[in-house]
Amino acid sequence: MLKIIIPTIMLIPLTWMSKPNMIWINTTTYGLLISLISLFYLNQPSDNTLNSSLMFFSDSLSAPLLALTTWLLPLMLMASQHHLSKEPLTRKKLYISMLILLQLFLIMTFTASELIFFYILFEATLIPTLIIITRWGNQTERLNAGLYFLFYTLMGSLPLLVALLYIHNFMGSLNFLMIQYWIQPLPNSWSNIFLWLACMMAFMVKMPLYGLHLWLPKAHVEAPIAGSMVLAAVLLKLGGYGMMRITTLLNPLTNFMAYPFMMLSLWGMIMTSSICLRQTDLKSLIAYSSVSHMALVIVAVLIQTPWSYMGATALMIAHGLTSSMLFCLANSNYERIHSRTMILARGLQTLLPLMAAWWLLASLTNLALPPTINLIGELFVVMSSFSWSNITIILMGINIIITALYSLYMLITTQRGKYSHHIKNIKPSFTRENALMTLHLLPLLLLSLNPKIILGPIY
Amino acid sequence: MNMFSSCMITALVILTLPIIMSSTKLYKNKLYPYYVKTATSYAFMISMIPTMMFIYSGQETIISNWHWMTIQTMKLSMSFKLDYFSMIFVPVALFVTWSIMEFSMWYMHSDPYINRFFKYLLLFLITMMVLVTANNMFQLFIGWEGVGIMSFLLIGWWYGRTDANTAALQAVLYNRIGDVGFIMTMAWFLLNLNTWDLQQIFITTNDNFNLPLLGLLLAATGKSAQFSLHPWLPSAMEGPTPVSALLHSSTMVVAGVFLLIRFHPLMEHNQTIQTLTLCLGAITTLFTAICALTQNDIKKIVAFSTSSQLGLMMVTIGINQPYLAFLHICTHAFFKAMLFMCSGSIIHSLNDEQDIRKMGGLFKVLPFTTTSLIIGSLALTGMPFLTGFYSKDLIIESANTSNTNAWALLITLVATSLTAAYSTRIMFFALLGQPRFSPMILINENNPLLINSIKRLLIGSVFAGYIISHSITPTTIPQMTMPHYLKMTALAVTILGFILALELNLTTQGLKFNYPSNYFKFSSLLGYYPTIMHRLTPKTSLTISQKSASMLLDSIWLENILPKSISYFQMKSSTLISNQKGLIKLYFLSFMLTMILSLLILNYHE
Repeated sequence: MLKIIIPTIMLIPLTWMSKPNMIWINTTTYGLLISLISLFYLNQPSDNTLNSSLMFFSDSLSAPLLALTTWLLPLMLMASQHHLSKEPLTRKKLYISMLILLQLFLIMTFTASELIFFYILFEATLIPTLIIITRWGNQTERLNAGLYFLFYTLMGSLPLLVALLYIHNFMGSLNFLMIQYWIQPLPNSWSNIFLWLACMMAFMVKMPLYGLHLWLPKAHVEAPIAGSMVLAAVLLKLGGYGMMRITTLLNPLTNFMAYPFMMLSLWGMIMTSSICLRQTDLKSLIAYSSVSHMALVIVAVLIQTPWSYMGATALMIAHGLTSSMLFCLANSNYERIHSRTMILARGLQTLLPLMAAWWLLASLTNLALPPTINLIGELFVVMSSFSWSNITIILMGINIIITALYSLYMLITTQRGKYSHHIKNIKPSFTRENALMTLHLLPLLLLSLNPKIILGPIY
Repeated sequence: MNMFSSCMITALVILTLPIIMSSTKLYKNKLYPYYVKTATSYAFMISMIPTMMFIYSGQETIISNWHWMTIQTMKLSMSFKLDYFSMIFVPVALFVTWSIMEFSMWYMHSDPYINRFFKYLLLFLITMMVLVTANNMFQLFIGWEGVGIMSFLLIGWWYGRTDANTAALQAVLYNRIGDVGFIMTMAWFLLNLNTWDLQQIFITTNDNFNLPLLGLLLAATGKSAQFSLHPWLPSAMEGPTPVSALLHSSTMVVAGVFLLIRFHPLMEHNQTIQTLTLCLGAITTLFTAICALTQNDIKKIVAFSTSSQLGLMMVTIGINQPYLAFLHICTHAFFKAMLFMCSGSIIHSLNDEQDIRKMGGLFKVLPFTTTSLIIGSLALTGMPFLTGFYSKDLIIESANTSNTNAWALLITLVATSLTAAYSTRIMFFALLGQPRFSPMILINENNPLLINSIKRLLIGSVFAGYIISHSITPTTIPQMTMPHYLKMTALAVTILGFILALELNLTTQGLKFNYPSNYFKFSSLLGYYPTIMHRLTPKTSLTISQKSASMLLDSIWLENILPKSISYFQMKSSTLISNQKGLIKLYFLSFMLTMILSLLILNYHE
């Protein structure tokens, strides 16, 4: 694992020592090279994990998320070039260093083999994210958003620390590889119920579960583009990843503890997607769509069948790429129109036809067009929830319909119709932006050719 | 016999060539539409070889080639099913598309993005081929969703128009409702049969198929615009006419019926679903025929007649005659596509005028279009020895002689009669009588692209039914004997419809237009269905999402329960506990008093 971690650390000196005109290109190229290394982990030759050391390991659940994380750094760098073009050099370098630091923490979080190490890094990712949001956000509300972000996630995860200490006390180890063999079924008692809640709430807040999701739209809307991208693409997936890892500890309690959270997720996914229908703010719409998609992942993880785990993993990767792409598109609009309001950016297809093609493809992947991996994820989740209870198909069906509606509503409002006069003299789309969209879309399309590498450990 | 599958694959591969070529310079070329059209015609001719072989020998084939993935116990691979249905439908669809593409070279010639239009048409055709030839449900779903999305793109082709965008969104919405049924069926099959392969599904011994078949029926209702999910089809007429001709008459909308035909081995023993299908089809065919009666937009009339024919196909499935329904799909494709093309020709010639009240007397200026339109309408009504006769007459006969419920049969017969009535109306208003259009328009239909494409379908509308029904042995036994009056029913109701409509039109022509009656309003307002469903449901759901989901829950409750209340209580308790009240004046005053006092005391201290 050091062959990823050390190059990532070395990105920081690279940033500070590069010539002023080379900071972006150097870091982007280097980041892409690192992401190539991470692709090797996708090849998991055996059912066991790839143990790099006592500290780090990777298996077929963490490898796709690792690849997604490393893939996203160059994309974030490419996306935020315009946002930072007016800033002085030192601040640009500081910004890049923050992104790299976040990247570093994320890589280590996904590959940590100790639960307590995982916890520390999980919390550590908050710091660079907070700085990115509150320092480089666009409006004053960013401070409030940063506050919400920090307090929701911290409040959720502090009980986890206590729970982890307790688990360590009675099991003697918090190593992922060992606890799956040592684990005893938890007896049904009040204290164990609280243990379950403490373990799961941290990740539920991070996902976010409906009801605890308020920080997410705020943070997404106020964050600069790179912040939104990494939040939607990777940070939310930390929640799903953590849930899938920790549920092995919490059996048989999950069987009945899952019910309220399942209900909340199923209800919340419809609520949040119907909120999307009424959004006027483009970024907020994409943020709520993330909440709705993540609710599917929560449902899938709580059902705990092989199919649902496969669906959850595939959906996390697919949603990571799709929502990040949507945020990039929203940002490219924002840089031209200087507003997130959708109605101000209508009819863009006439002016930026290639961008319209990206919008179309992004919306289609968001509404899970077959045979993209988004569909595979969603289909597997729907299948497993149907087998869990036939009635859920009604809720899932409503959600499928509304998802299609708001995706196309977003597409039609921003791209179709007559353009308004104030956008007549906007800049054409840059090669950088087109390359950015291509780099989002290519993995999506290529993964649909061979989805099994992102289907997780149970495949 | 290797020719069979290899020719079929060749035909399918030829279709993808222009798509691949669209990344080269060829796409910039003005000849690109021509290439696409030629590729389609080649694909048609090549696909005729396996079809001929199929007709000759009756062999069915399944091709499995690319193994996509194996999920636990389920194998998913790319697999084509070349059986009766796909072998007959593929050449028909290719033939119709070939003509429509030639037609759109004429119709869309002034469009700056004509190349992209052709690419979309071809992409649509490919997804349709995937749908028809799919051997497992996942592949079928790819085609199923693909045609839905391509219809979104094609209906919304003129994206500057709000109506076109609304219609496109409407089409996707209604199709998505159907998709939920499809997904549910997939889930049920996966759960209970552990397979999505068609042949494995059909050999099952499970006999309670109500739930998956209901899902399939819902899917077919959405895709084939059956009653309750029908309004998208007339709205879709906002798209360009070639799109209406291709998608909304001959290919995409029959996908739902095709799906039910594909799954008829499960349906043929299930009385509940059959009765449901029958009633649904009967309601659709009557309701949309009534709606067609009072429309004035020529494309809308043809669209409603398509919807009515789709209802008739559902009725046929409901009386357990899937092969007849399939025959009707094939024959219907020819004359309905031609009817759309004829109306396109009229619309284009009259400077985008779609209102039949502003036409009239076109038989003088557009003789060829008039001929084709009349033949198409006659074929649609089932005039003997035209294409429609061979399927429609059989359908009515077998409905007459089967022991179905009389109510469904009766309204089907009424709808058949109405078919003749609205066809008469088109002919009467658009073609006959005195011209009512602007005399300044330069009308010219002598473009080989237009003439040839319509001519090809015209020949199809006259002979295709004969050829198809005579070269293929009937797979279900048709009713051999019946009384005279039953045999003549179909013809009698059609002629009755013709005569009634003609007489009504002739008598009322010179009369003053009275205040419209309630029946008229019911028909011209499409049974009040769009008025209710397109206002009430969106308004309620959008209000709920705004008021309860967004405002009440997100902005008020969730905001107040956690963050706001925590900060509020923190603030309250901190002010309560602390003895700093922020009374700066008082603090300073006391400070000053101390200072002064201390000064005074220090000064006067001895």
